Amino acid sequence: MVSYVVRRLLWAIPTLLGVFTIIFVLTYMLPGDPVRAIMGEQYRRADPETIERVREQLGFNDPWYEQYARFLWRSVRGDLGQSYVLDETVKDILIYRFPRTLQLMGAALLVAVILGIPAGIIAARFQYSWLDHSLMLLALVGIAMPVFWQAILAKIYLTQGTYGVALFPVAGYGDGQFIYLVLPSLVLGTHLSATIARVMRSSLLEERSKDYSRTARSKGLTTHAVIFNHQLRNALIPVVTVIGLDVGYLLGGSVVTETVFNWPGLGRAVVNAILRRDTPVVIGTLIFGALLFVIVNLIVDLIYALINPQIRY
Amino acid sequence: MNEWQRISKAFFRHRLGVLGLTIVLMFSAVAIFAPWLAPSDPTTQRIATARLEPPSAEFLLGTDELGRDLLSRLMYGARISMRIGLIAEGIALLIGIILGGLAGYFGGWIDNLIMRITDIFFAIPGLLFLIAIVAIFDSSATTIFVALGLISWPSEARLMRSEVLRLRSKEYVTAAQALGMRNWRVIFRHILPNALSSLIVVGSLGIAGAILSEATLSFLGLGIQEPIPSWGTMINKGQQFIFNAWWYSVFPGLVIMLVVLGFNFLGDAIRDAMAGESHKA
Repeated sequence: MVSYVVRRLLWAIPTLLGVFTIIFVLTYMLPGDPVRAIMGEQYRRADPETIERVREQLGFNDPWYEQYARFLWRSVRGDLGQSYVLDETVKDILIYRFPRTLQLMGAALLVAVILGIPAGIIAARFQYSWLDHSLMLLALVGIAMPVFWQAILAKIYLTQGTYGVALFPVAGYGDGQFIYLVLPSLVLGTHLSATIARVMRSSLLEERSKDYSRTARSKGLTTHAVIFNHQLRNALIPVVTVIGLDVGYLLGGSVVTETVFNWPGLGRAVVNAILRRDTPVVIGTLIFGALLFVIVNLIVDLIYALINPQIRY
Repeated sequence: MNEWQRISKAFFRHRLGVLGLTIVLMFSAVAIFAPWLAPSDPTTQRIATARLEPPSAEFLLGTDELGRDLLSRLMYGARISMRIGLIAEGIALLIGIILGGLAGYFGGWIDNLIMRITDIFFAIPGLLFLIAIVAIFDSSATTIFVALGLISWPSEARLMRSEVLRLRSKEYVTAAQALGMRNWRVIFRHILPNALSSLIVVGSLGIAGAILSEATLSFLGLGIQEPIPSWGTMINKGQQFIFNAWWYSVFPGLVIMLVVLGFNFLGDAIRDAMAGESHKA
């Protein structure tokens, strides 16, 4: 087990290196003069020699491999530079915004698990009944519905009296009250809950056809007991995998959800940064997002190894 | 009865699958024939006479803030969405088939190298990457489908690799190799045709994903720009008017959902048909 953990940790390094390289290539290809963006208003007033000096100082005249090495070294140390627009370092922006995104993603994950797992169990328990069919149809619709559209529907019908009922605040973070979190996390969690329900159902059905289930049933256990005491534990394994795979989706979905609900997280920061051409913030968020994704997948793999008795590394 | 006949027979017994196929064919027809089907020009403005008109006999789905007919805009929007979906997934499949095919067929260090590259691309958060690409280059349809193709291939490559591994040990492949057939001919003549049905499944789901990604990007205001009618952009613009013109953002979303459902139903049904589960759904 320990050697598996170590090996899995080591695997993450080349993956991250590859991601950083791709991000570097993207920055390198950026059109326009970065010196101009950094100097802002001063650029127009400065004489060519000053501009050249700044360029030299910032290292934009160095060969690409030196810039690449510097980029890697800075990224590893967490030095992501300064925002072009705001008077803040990218690191500070990430530190302020990330907990809010994490809060949203965590709540969405909770919603997804609370809705998805029971729905999957019920559908499998009553396979081919109308209940099963309607739950699975609902799940298909949930998967096909764009997050941003769901967010807008929620706004139209649940935040104001014009067409619906005013149950929740339209947008914003308030002072961090729970009520502000409800709609964004419901919206963000829908897709994942639908996926979980589908996977939960099919993996329970698969467990049902296995020998141990037949044994459990034949010794007189109720269907209920067979599901909850025997099958569920095994059937949860694919669900964990799917949750891990969908973290990327949650990350992307949070960009949209935060934008619609004006939630002060990373997603909205990155959209604003793009609209303002604030490259360091965009790159910083991209690096951070990839890092997060790799870490979460690492955790998922480790949980997977823990709960699956068949995996012995 | 050969394999294809069996699958298509099973497919046509799959109710959701037939529904999916109908939806997909309908949207394709609308995309192709939009100029003949649309009741009016999608860019004709009626600022003075028909701003934010609710659905009526004249404007079946209402109008937007410039008085443009929403139904016509949705129909022309199908062209953008379908084109981006098809080409993006085409690129993803092409890269995936080549890399996955090489990895599975040759194995060894080639396999290792390609699979590590696949892992790296898997670790990139798709939407963020797409956003960065659009920010760096431009937000034209071409940039979007190329970028989408460049990030969506890893799952296609993994599938192709596992298909090749499954087929490589079949007698007819060994026989072809023993007869001295060249590697690329073995791949094209014997492996690819047999992997085709699985590839159609991921392709169908992939098109749905690409359409959704483009809509998301456009919704954020970073994708297709006005006055080209794109469903995502329409919802983005409609956002400002949700409390006095619900139709503006509701209908485009409905259409996106419908087309995504169509491709998903289609993909799921082909998969079920291949697995011989024709009784389901």
